[in-house]
Amino acid sequence: MSEILGKTEDVVKKAKSLGADEVIAKTTFGKYRQVRFSNNQVDITVAWDDYVTDLALAWKKRVVATQIHDFHDVDQTVKRLVELAKVSGENPTFGGFANGNFHYADSQADRRLQSLESPTELVFEAIDAAEKEAGSEVDSGGILSTKFEDVYLASSEGPSGVDSRSAVELSIRAFSEREASGHGVECSSTLKDFKPSRAGSKAGEIAKLAKNPKIGEEGAYDVIFDPLIFGSMLGVWGGMASAFSIMIQMSIFVDKLGKKVAPEIVTLTDNPAAYSMSQRVFDDEGVPARENVFIDHGILKTYLHNASTARAFKTKTTGNAGLIAPNPWNVEMAPGTMSKDELFKEVNRGLYLTNTWYTRFQNYLRGDFSTIPRDGIFLIEKGEIKKSLKDLRISDNILSMLGNIAGLSKERQHVHWWIEADPPSLSPYVLIKNVHMTKSK
Amino acid sequence: MDEEIADYALEYSQSKKVDYAEVRAHSQVQERIILRNEILEAYVSAVDTGFCVRIMANGGIGFASTNRWSKEEARAIVDLAFKYAKAAKRKDKLVFAEEKGIKTKWTVEQKKKIENIAPEEKISAFADINKSLASCGVKVPALISQVFIDLITKYFANSEGSKISSFVPKIGAYLNITVAEQGKTEQAYEQFGYSGGWEALGIWKIQDRMIHNAMVLRDVITKAKTVKPGEMDLVCGSEVTGIAAHESCGHPMEADRILGREMSQAGRSFIYKGGDYWLGTRIGSKAVTVVDDPTIEHSYGYYPYDDEGVKARPRFLYKEGIINEFLQNRESAAKLGTRSNGSSRSVNYDREAIVRMANTFVAPGEFTEEELIEDVKQGVFMKSFTEWNIDDKRFNQRYVGKEAYLIKDGKLQYPVARPVIETTTLKFWSAVDAVSKKVEFDAATCGKGDPSQGVPVNTGGPCIRLREVFVK
Repeated sequence: MSEILGKTEDVVKKAKSLGADEVIAKTTFGKYRQVRFSNNQVDITVAWDDYVTDLALAWKKRVVATQIHDFHDVDQTVKRLVELAKVSGENPTFGGFANGNFHYADSQADRRLQSLESPTELVFEAIDAAEKEAGSEVDSGGILSTKFEDVYLASSEGPSGVDSRSAVELSIRAFSEREASGHGVECSSTLKDFKPSRAGSKAGEIAKLAKNPKIGEEGAYDVIFDPLIFGSMLGVWGGMASAFSIMIQMSIFVDKLGKKVAPEIVTLTDNPAAYSMSQRVFDDEGVPARENVFIDHGILKTYLHNASTARAFKTKTTGNAGLIAPNPWNVEMAPGTMSKDELFKEVNRGLYLTNTWYTRFQNYLRGDFSTIPRDGIFLIEKGEIKKSLKDLRISDNILSMLGNIAGLSKERQHVHWWIEADPPSLSPYVLIKNVHMTKSK
Repeated sequence: MDEEIADYALEYSQSKKVDYAEVRAHSQVQERIILRNEILEAYVSAVDTGFCVRIMANGGIGFASTNRWSKEEARAIVDLAFKYAKAAKRKDKLVFAEEKGIKTKWTVEQKKKIENIAPEEKISAFADINKSLASCGVKVPALISQVFIDLITKYFANSEGSKISSFVPKIGAYLNITVAEQGKTEQAYEQFGYSGGWEALGIWKIQDRMIHNAMVLRDVITKAKTVKPGEMDLVCGSEVTGIAAHESCGHPMEADRILGREMSQAGRSFIYKGGDYWLGTRIGSKAVTVVDDPTIEHSYGYYPYDDEGVKARPRFLYKEGIINEFLQNRESAAKLGTRSNGSSRSVNYDREAIVRMANTFVAPGEFTEEELIEDVKQGVFMKSFTEWNIDDKRFNQRYVGKEAYLIKDGKLQYPVARPVIETTTLKFWSAVDAVSKKVEFDAATCGKGDPSQGVPVNTGGPCIRLREVFVK
């Protein structure tokens, strides 16, 4: 392990010796495995191993980056990069990489995810659970993915450390009929308590309830969001909290620091905690990753920063550095006091939405957008699910929706799905009032 | 890239009991330039190189890749892919549709070699856009420019005797613009793409297009009126025609989606066996022919051979309004009893090739753009779009206009703010009564697969006129 860290440090030293002002190198040895399945059968099992050193350096406020694979051609690559910096353009707002010497927590990565011998068995557990819930005719598809990374980071500004990161997720979509489906996910950093059957059961349960859907009606509804679909919303708000999104005017949170953006029940935190698929002990500059409350009881408290954006905003880094811009790692919503069932009882006439995709914006500053719910869409009357619906679209404003949050469940689920519910999040069931739904005409 | 090691991997895989084996090696010289207004945020320059093997054994498929070039690593990934193929334990054994081995080489020529363009010139070409915008009389608080340059060398070989080498340079740019007037803002994005060299910059005319965008957004704030919702005629500009062709024709015609292989992520299709729509079913008017053609030279989605080594050709997806031909790779074609039509693409050595579009467009008609508008009593000309989306069966779609005008008595009247068409695939294509002569293309990045593979494509077409559709 120390040999790789030593080689990573050598890359930093080389760049410094060639004239770079500041240098960060991060070596990742990654093992990624994925089983893809559809129609209840395995389509393909995929393995990809990646050995890469990400290198970023600054010379007179010129920021350049490259990748070195398996420590080949280090000298030439570093030399070329320093030369590129010298002909590159100055970024006057660049505030430097993070400096300091940090102590990091021990990684809690699960080494069993380094080489999972029989990943297909986990897939069949999920398929069987969906069948048990929705019947033998159910048609399921999805993925099982695992990740194990050893990460070695060295910086000319002091940080140096080693981390291991693991993740496992099972995503299953079950169809009980051609237009009746449910989606379930099981996400974790470890195989401990990882139960693919939970995802399968949830997918099967929704698919069964979703049978015989009718086209829904346009209008404004009180809507209960399942943790999976709400994970998509949390990902949007988390991304818009990045200081880079603020700088490029692609966020509803521009000029709203210290202001009320949501009701008091809303507290959003970014937290790459040990349970999370985004677990890490340091960010891409070597700053210890930590919990950051960015909306506290409805008030926007901070943006998410790397060292450079923090200096531009006259604050401190929040430990969210990616190599170019700060990112959220894992967005948590504080739980409410009601059970899921009690939350449903709050709705006299409304909808229960379980999943969505294609979230697209007209204007990121205003927040005007639409997204298309998929899988189970249900009409709720007097707190009970009354009917399965289809073909509805949310056409609303993401800032208004944040402001219209009216209830949260105690139960929360760690969710992640493809590029739609990303980054991972810890999401409750959420009631939002007055959500505008439209449909095709 | 070491073709000998790739060949060794193929040879080693054939020493096992495989039904089929292939090796695909990629080397991608990559440059990424990110500018915020005229400020260079970062310049990324890297080489990504590696190879994969895909093995079919016992009716299952295994895939493994690495970026370490050694015989030991080649053996390791072959062993893994073989193990995974056998572990699939499929009831329905997979086979590939028949193809003959091909030995060939192909390259895309560059008039101005990207390799010869200095980094400073690449940066200033995009930093200068901001300078032009600063003097166009519109307040532009933010312009984000992302530039993607990839010099892609590939080597493909399979157990059926194929050996295909290729080189294609691709250059793309994605720009987001924010305009502020009267205390209000409007935003838009614009994408550019080309297979070839630095001559792309001369073809794109980015500065003109971004200035045009700035003025359109200013007019949306200062001059545009909202449209009174109701049934009316809609003339779609080529950009809107193109996105509709891609989303509600190209995607639902992907055979892997039709067969359910993408059911959990990119979704299924409204087209399926035993359903209301299949080959031979009418989905649009006679005026509608939608083509996907990878062989258009220098297009963003250009390729003469796909990533399974199958020769590419134009595919007539909807032909005179009838569902005509699906996009197929060898796996889907075998399941549907047909041949691949060369639609298999992968973004890199570490991703499996899956069914994809290339350049999808509506075929030209006989009218001029002016003739389409002249014959509209009351309607909207939606020249370009902003927000859009479509459901995962590809039937319910929504396009919101960016540049749009009210048409009255055959004449454009004034700008319309964010008009919306939200309708079904059947209604959209059935409402088309006239198509103009001139086809224009836009660049796009098409997303599909898990992990997501964004492939470069063109979307396009002429102007099309839809009669009596609901616009709000």
